[in-house]
Amino acid sequence: MDWLQYYFNFRIVGDYADIFAAGVAQTLWISALCLVLSVIFGTLVALGRMSKNPMIWRPIAAYIQFIRSTPLLIQIYLIYYGLPALLPQGYGNIFDETQTGIIALTVHTSPYMGEIIRAGIQSVNPGQIEGALSVGMTPRQTLLNVTLPQALTNVMPPMLGQTAVLIKDTSLLSIIAVFELMGAGLQMFSETVIATESYVTTAICYLGIYAMMLIISGMLQNKLGGKAWKAN
Amino acid sequence: MDLIADKISIIQSLWPTMLKGLWMTFQVSMLAILLGSLIGFTLGVAKTLGYFVLEKLINGYLHILRGSPYLVQLYIIYFVLPSTGIAWLSFDSYTAAVVSLSLYTSSYVTEIVASAIVAVPSGQSEAARSVGMTRAQTYRNVVIPQALKLTIPPMASVYVIVIKSTAILSVIGFAELTRAGEIAIMRMPGDIMFIYCMIAAFYFMYCYPVLRFSKWAEGRFGSAGQIEH
Repeated sequence: MDWLQYYFNFRIVGDYADIFAAGVAQTLWISALCLVLSVIFGTLVALGRMSKNPMIWRPIAAYIQFIRSTPLLIQIYLIYYGLPALLPQGYGNIFDETQTGIIALTVHTSPYMGEIIRAGIQSVNPGQIEGALSVGMTPRQTLLNVTLPQALTNVMPPMLGQTAVLIKDTSLLSIIAVFELMGAGLQMFSETVIATESYVTTAICYLGIYAMMLIISGMLQNKLGGKAWKAN
Repeated sequence: MDLIADKISIIQSLWPTMLKGLWMTFQVSMLAILLGSLIGFTLGVAKTLGYFVLEKLINGYLHILRGSPYLVQLYIIYFVLPSTGIAWLSFDSYTAAVVSLSLYTSSYVTEIVASAIVAVPSGQSEAARSVGMTRAQTYRNVVIPQALKLTIPPMASVYVIVIKSTAILSVIGFAELTRAGEIAIMRMPGDIMFIYCMIAAFYFMYCYPVLRFSKWAEGRFGSAGQIEH
């Protein structure tokens, strides 16, 4: 293995294994939290966007367009430097970097999730709901047994794709000094000044997370099936 | 009134720097979309040819590019490649930006082109083959012209992704729009929020028309599937 060590010194990587493990854990829980928050806010965005009241849907549409047309990095900067000024006097620094980063990523991901959820709700054939009601199901049964399973199946592939994007987007939080996987790589680089091991290890960890996502997505595909999956 | 006059004077004094940054953003995003489309088109067509090994290799390439963040790819191309010791891999920030963005773009374009080719009804190529066209002729004259129309809407979305990704280039000191703004902030640290809003407005004015075009083209030409982000 000596020849490999010339290109990639895995002994040094071994010294930093616990830092990378901490980085992976941090990346995973930040993404998981952002995912849950952005699905919740995304549903609100979707419902607001489908509202017939222009006082509601116009601001929501503007928010969606703004987020889609500006880079995430700028949104992170705007929230990182702007959030303290928006909060009431004396509460300016109640959020630390990690919390600010989670807020920024949620603000960024919610409109994307909202558009996915909106498409999912609209994709259920109204005949399905009418049919369920006409055979005597209650509205609640219709929602649980007919509408939601179909909407969920249709929405799952783009939502998993968006989750993969979200996990990759957490790497930008390293720029506002949040410790996560990219932050672990940067820390190793600043301490050892060997670029190859620091950044290639980071990339391998991200690819590992991505491979895990692919496996989960395959398992869900088997479980849910449905025509929405065939497109991918 | 003083406040507005103050902001207007800030805009006036920053305008030239910002425009220079916007020009760099435009330049690098244009180069990336051109080179990326070239690579992506080649790989996308190659993926549909039906050679098992080739398809698996291209899938591996796509997984590596789609599975890691662009920031990491940029760092690898800018910091890791020079340490391999091969002289021509020591890119300056401009080349590193173009190379990494082109590779990143090509991963999207490959999938778009491949799915557009698959989306062309198989009766088209069967008919072409049955009237005596060779396989190459079928691709060139029948399948690809129809597929390219389907790629227009998703390609516009990819262009927006590329423009937005150029903001990340500021971390390696590449003098594009975001970096121009950061330099302006060093000069006027008091107006940090105003300057960031100004940068956001520039990006918005650049990306929003492209997104509208994508939406319009989807209704006009149909689409070969949506891309996340």
